[in-house]
Amino acid sequence: MSAEPTVVIRLDGDGSVYQPGETLSGHFWIDARDADQVKAVEVSVLWHSEGKGDEDMAVHEFCRHEADGVPPIDFGRPQRFSTTLPKSPLSYEGQMIKLRWCVRVRAFFHRGKEVVGERQFQLGNVPPLRVRPPA
Amino acid sequence: MARSFRYYGKKRGHRRTGSPVVGRAGEAIFWAVLLLLGCGGIVVLLFQFVVPEWRVNHEFVATTCKVLDKQIGERRGEDGPLFRPEIRIEYDVGGTTYRDWHYDIHQHKINGGYFGKRENAQAILDQFTVSGPAKGPRYPCWYDPTNPSVAVLVRGYRPWLWWVFTVPASFVLIGAGGLVYTLLQWGKSAEQRAVLAQRVQERDFFGAGSDPSAYLCVPLGADITNSPGIRLSFRLPMTRAPAWALFGALVFCVVWNVSVFVAILIGLHMAGPAGWFLAVFLPLGLIGLGAIALFVRQLAVATRIGPILLEISGHPLRPGAQYRLFLSQAGRLTVRDLRVSLVCEETATYRQGTNSRTETQEVERHELFRRQQLQIERGRPFETELDLNVPEGAMHSFKADHNEINWAIRVESDLDGRRTWKRSFPVIVLPAPGDAGR
Repeated sequence: MSAEPTVVIRLDGDGSVYQPGETLSGHFWIDARDADQVKAVEVSVLWHSEGKGDEDMAVHEFCRHEADGVPPIDFGRPQRFSTTLPKSPLSYEGQMIKLRWCVRVRAFFHRGKEVVGERQFQLGNVPPLRVRPPA
Repeated sequence: MARSFRYYGKKRGHRRTGSPVVGRAGEAIFWAVLLLLGCGGIVVLLFQFVVPEWRVNHEFVATTCKVLDKQIGERRGEDGPLFRPEIRIEYDVGGTTYRDWHYDIHQHKINGGYFGKRENAQAILDQFTVSGPAKGPRYPCWYDPTNPSVAVLVRGYRPWLWWVFTVPASFVLIGAGGLVYTLLQWGKSAEQRAVLAQRVQERDFFGAGSDPSAYLCVPLGADITNSPGIRLSFRLPMTRAPAWALFGALVFCVVWNVSVFVAILIGLHMAGPAGWFLAVFLPLGLIGLGAIALFVRQLAVATRIGPILLEISGHPLRPGAQYRLFLSQAGRLTVRDLRVSLVCEETATYRQGTNSRTETQEVERHELFRRQQLQIERGRPFETELDLNVPEGAMHSFKADHNEINWAIRVESDLDGRRTWKRSFPVIVLPAPGDAGR
């Protein structure tokens, strides 16, 4: 167990490439000595853009778990999540624009501290852009 | 120990990013101040104008009076003199006779009841006749039962007053909206804020949600298929009509040459025929001549190039699928090189300082058709059908707030080896069926 808290995310299956309409599932846990100090965790499945333009982001699935819910949750133990992936937008590796899908888990500790873990995956089969236009 | 509150964030290069908490607090304070200003403005307007007029209409007691004297009151305002009608009246309340200068309720405030036009004040005074030693006419008036020395000769509301309320009311609306929005987002993660924003965007005013079967972030392209074709299913619209380029060249040509001509005339008048200004304006005049030549040349080409028509057998497009295209190019010209290509462009919008910039880059090009030394004669347009194979693995069209991926069929005509006329026909590419259906 590490001194600094970390979020561990594991995806089912090969965990790298998924198709639209497929179910993405997995589990996460907070690897910390004081995992009982986590008051809430947000699990998001989202896409965001990278590259030259300002960032665009959209959340496909969002779920917030409170530690003192009914029943109480121990975030030090694996917690499952699952979602059906949408038809678009597909993952893309362009020249100025990159579209990335990921599972993001954000843990909120009692003293206001936040720890974020992220696990990227590919949606669809769009190959990286290799064909360059003539000069 | 981790701090839950920071005055500043991470250091990036030579600058520190702002703390989100301080930023949000500042935002909330800004909206709250706006809201308070609006509320304060409404309260002031109410007590200064609405409440006194309401009391006159509902609480003041009616009686009659006689006019003893009348005059135009005048004082200096910021934009010149201001005027008001002042009428000295005499009326009795409970056996006591009151004599004072009155007209409307606003005259009883300091510097109240003035307006800009003297003739308006005079027109009001002309409605009243001063009583002489003999018995004169009596006029209706209304006095304040709590203070009978306050009386008015007119009642009613000022219609312009309600328009004044729009200023503080807009402050209240904007301030309250901003404050509610800021408080709703307070303490929420970027993901939760994005979810809230998406929910607002997905719902229309009638409460209907977005179509769950639709492709997210893929433009619908409804305007692409609203024109049926003659040979094939749809006639594709063009992004920019060439007439606009011609119009732009004309505007530049006229504005530039008129400006230079006027400047030369002024220079001749001020400095004489051999003035120094000729050295300055001669190059500008040459640019003007160049603009005329460019416009005439563009006009000549535009009149030679006739309308171009592109039809497609199906739309929207799918990666790996094949379609038919029909191209028709009318006019009277010789095209050295005619090319039809399927192109993909990435468009990124980003902030640079206070400016917003948009950059477009062509990232894929698939040539569909090429013909060299093509002779087109008037009345006999060049027509051809060709195959359009959308490549396997092509990225679908994509549109978000700051990033776009757009596909188009581009027709390029190289006329004289120096100039290429480009026409772009946007198309929508959906995700491959295999990608969506599995």
